[in-house]
Amino acid sequence: MKKIFIILMIGLLFAGTVNAQDEGTKSSFGYKPSSYYSFGWNTLWSLGDFNKWISNGSPAGFNLGGRYFIGGSNFAAGFNIQWQRVWQDYPQQTFYGDNGVALTAMNYRFTWMVPFQAAIDYYFMPSKMVSPYIGLGIGGDYMEHHLLIQELDIYKTRWDFSLTPEIGALIKFGAFSNFGAQVAFNYKWTTNYIDFSTGTKLSNLQMIQLRIGLCYFLR
Amino acid sequence: MKILRLTFIALGILAMVSCSKYPTSSSRLLEDLAVLTQYDVNTNFGLYKKYSIVDTVYYITDKGTQKVISANSQILINQIIGNMNARGYQKVAKSANPDLGINVSVLKTTTTTVYYPGWYWGYPGYYPSDWWGYGGYYYPYYPTYYSSYSAGTMIIEMVNFKKLVDNKVPVVWNAYIRGLITDTHTTSDITGAIDQAFTQTPSIKTSL
Repeated sequence: MKKIFIILMIGLLFAGTVNAQDEGTKSSFGYKPSSYYSFGWNTLWSLGDFNKWISNGSPAGFNLGGRYFIGGSNFAAGFNIQWQRVWQDYPQQTFYGDNGVALTAMNYRFTWMVPFQAAIDYYFMPSKMVSPYIGLGIGGDYMEHHLLIQELDIYKTRWDFSLTPEIGALIKFGAFSNFGAQVAFNYKWTTNYIDFSTGTKLSNLQMIQLRIGLCYFLR
Repeated sequence: MKILRLTFIALGILAMVSCSKYPTSSSRLLEDLAVLTQYDVNTNFGLYKKYSIVDTVYYITDKGTQKVISANSQILINQIIGNMNARGYQKVAKSANPDLGINVSVLKTTTTTVYYPGWYWGYPGYYPSDWWGYGGYYYPYYPTYYSSYSAGTMIIEMVNFKKLVDNKVPVVWNAYIRGLITDTHTTSDITGAIDQAFTQTPSIKTSL
């Protein structure tokens, strides 16, 4: 899967490079939006300690974003709000709690998260049909970690601080179209943690995410 | 343009609201046996050697407690005896001044919600399977338990006769094996769950 991401990103950057070479001769072609909104489908793969909790990737996610270009620059600031769920079945495992408690059962785990992030991006060619960008999201996530055993639902809710460096590209459907697509790939680091079993704290949950969505550009 | 912008925002909100955060869980969750144990961390199980155990399993139904002597009950009792003996304990008769006593019950009632404190005494139709001649039991620790007992929960309780308080015996270990009748389980499944209850409580081992 990582190879696919790398190939995809190289392809997007290459497309941007080709556009950049054309820019000198077709400078009047296209427009630079003043802002845009995006709505995308988000997939997630857990990393590090998060992967010990749930190793499955998850396609169950959505992202809503907005960016506003700052003055005449290639920088844009905005927000991302996301909804994401990851889940996995596990065979019988033993959890050790406080005060001599132990529980062995088949369990079903899921984490539900709603990140809220402020973001700042740099767009290499915002007036072109394909504009690669790099960005950074900073904010917080609301997460619920659930451990389901029979009809029991043991869960913990936590807010965290998170950082999300991202690379991606905006692709207009036409040089002057208000509509386009967005492809983004990011790595996310959070201060969130999971501690269902005594002595086993899964901390600094991390993940990589791929987002594909639609954009609406404002001039 | 405003309409399109609002449409995007509305779609986003709709997507978030319409998608449940709860995934569809596997039905196997309800069918599987779960083993919950808790022991008194202030009890040194190594100090004791002799134990006694009830001669059969007590079934707790909506109509009261019923002593059931059957081949299956004996298999469960024998499995507990096997585990205790493997930990170095010696089974003796009730009259032989045992250090520890073990009760075994199976809840066969419909789902009833019970809460601590007082759950033990307030349970409808439920009284201890064997008081061993004492004035009752008490928990020296705050017991972790399922707040809602379903039918088909096996309860194993170990009491300490050497630490009486007001003529009551403390429960120093309890094991709940849950899900006995939510699916077809073989005797081997249940004896395996009994073994697991002991496996996850390594403190139960005599030093004598």
